[in-house]
Amino acid sequence: MSPRVIPGAVTGELPAAADAVVIGGGLQGLALAYELAKCGCGRIVVLEAHYPGSGGSGRNGEMIRSAFATDEWIGLFDDSLRRWQTLSAELDFNVLFTRAGYLLLASTPEAFAGARRNLEIQRAHGLGVELLGPDDVKRLCPEMAPEMIAGGIVQHDAGFAHHDATVWAYARAAARLGVELHPYTTVTAIGIAGDAVRSVTTDRGVISTPVVVDAAGGQAREVAGLAGVDVPVQVFRLEAMVTEPLEPFLRPAVSSPAIMGYCHQTTRGEFVGGTEPEVPIPCDSIRSTLDGARDMARKFVRLFPRLAGVRMMRHWSGVVTQTADIAPILCRAPGLEGFYLDCGWVYGFVGAPAAAALMAELIVTGETPPTLAPFDVDRFTTGKLIRETSLVVAASEGSAA
Amino acid sequence: MKGKAPTTKTILCLCRDVTEEDVRRAVAEGYDDIETLKRLTGACTGPCQGKTCVESIRRLLAELAGRELDEVPAPPRRPPATPVRLGTLAAEDEP
Repeated sequence: MSPRVIPGAVTGELPAAADAVVIGGGLQGLALAYELAKCGCGRIVVLEAHYPGSGGSGRNGEMIRSAFATDEWIGLFDDSLRRWQTLSAELDFNVLFTRAGYLLLASTPEAFAGARRNLEIQRAHGLGVELLGPDDVKRLCPEMAPEMIAGGIVQHDAGFAHHDATVWAYARAAARLGVELHPYTTVTAIGIAGDAVRSVTTDRGVISTPVVVDAAGGQAREVAGLAGVDVPVQVFRLEAMVTEPLEPFLRPAVSSPAIMGYCHQTTRGEFVGGTEPEVPIPCDSIRSTLDGARDMARKFVRLFPRLAGVRMMRHWSGVVTQTADIAPILCRAPGLEGFYLDCGWVYGFVGAPAAAALMAELIVTGETPPTLAPFDVDRFTTGKLIRETSLVVAASEGSAA
Repeated sequence: MKGKAPTTKTILCLCRDVTEEDVRRAVAEGYDDIETLKRLTGACTGPCQGKTCVESIRRLLAELAGRELDEVPAPPRRPPATPVRLGTLAAEDEP
C-alpha cells in the first residue's frame, strides 16, 4: 500500500504540466484549489511541504465570526460566514460547524462604548448581532468572573468548527473534482520568463504552469521570494492549549481583548484557547514555552475561575504571518503575470471559504471582486491600510488590540 | 452494531478508546500518516499524551503501510508531560 497521508491526496509522479499550481496544502490552498476546480480550471496541482494542514490550519483557535468593525473586514468575513453555514453540505463532509454564538467580551466601560459604536456598522451590514449588558453576558456565560464583565456583542449565527475536519473536507471535495494534492513535496524554485511565471520546481520534479498561487502560510514570504516578489509580513509565534474534557459550561466562542485571549468549549468537552503577549515577538519556531503556558493559565483562570481546578492536557504553538494592518493579502502579485498571493493571514480559518471563492473568481475572470479589492498588497505602498479595531491580536504598533 | 460480532476489541489508545480496528479502517481510508491518523482518531492526544499507545500504533501503522518501524516517526511530544491544573500553572509566577 502506498501512503496517501489523507484521503484525497495522491502519490506518484508529479505531472509535467498543469493549468494552475497552488503552493501550500493548508486550508487556504486546498479551498482555493477546490474553488478553481469548480470553475473548471483544468489540471490543478497543490504542493504541500509536510502533511496537509500541518501549519496554521491545524493550530488555530477554530473560531468563526464576521462581526468586525470595518466595511472591508465585514464584507469578506461575512461572505465567509454565510459559506460556513452550509459548508458541511457543500463539501459532503462534517466540519463540525457549531453555531453556538460568538461573544466579543467588553471588560471595561471604554470597551463597552466601543462595542456600542461597532454595533451600528454591523447592523448596517445586516449581521445577526446583539449588544449585551452585564446581566445578559452573565446569563450567557454563567461561569465567567463578574469583574471581567462590562458587556459585549454576541453574534448569534457565528461560533466554531473543527479545523482538521475542514482541511480534510476541502481536500476530499477538491480530489473529487480532479485536483492533485501532493504532500511532502517542497518547492525549491519558481521559473519566470519575461514578466510571467512559467514553472514550479520541487524536490520531486518540475511542473510547467501559467498560474502559481502562494498560499504557503508561515512560509509565504520565502515562497514569494522565489519569484522575486516581496510580501510584507512578519512571522509571530502564537500558543494555544486544550484542557481535559469537562461537563458543558461554556456555550459560545469567547474573545476577550482584556486578556488578549480567545476560547471555546468543544463538543467533546475540552476547553480550547490561546492568549497573546501584549507585544508580539517575531519568531518562526513552533516550540511551546513555559511562559506561554503560564500566560494562558493565569488569564483563563481569571476569566473562568473554575478552570483553576481543570488540568491542561496539551499545549502547542503555531505561527501567523502578520501584515502591518493584520488583514490578509489577497491579490495578483504586482509585476509578475500569473502569480497570485493568498497569504498574510491571522484570521485565516474563518476567512478561507470566502477568500478561496473570490480568489478563484479573480484568477478565472481577471477581474478583482469588489469584496477582495481592499486586500491588495499595494495598500502597503499607497498607505491605504485597513483600520480594523475589533481584532484580538497583539500588534507590533499596539493599535489593533 | 448490536447482534453483530465485533471484529476486534483490542484497544490501542486507552484515553480515546481507539481500537485496532479503528486504526485499520482509518489507514485503509487514507489516513496512513501518523500525524493525520493521530488527528483523525484522537489517539496519542489524551491525558497520557501517547505514553501508552504511541508504540503500538507505530507498529501497526508500519505493518499496514509496509514500512519499517523507523520510517514511522512518533509524533512530536507536546507539553505538559503530565496534565497540570491551570491553577497550579497560574499560581506559580504570582508575586
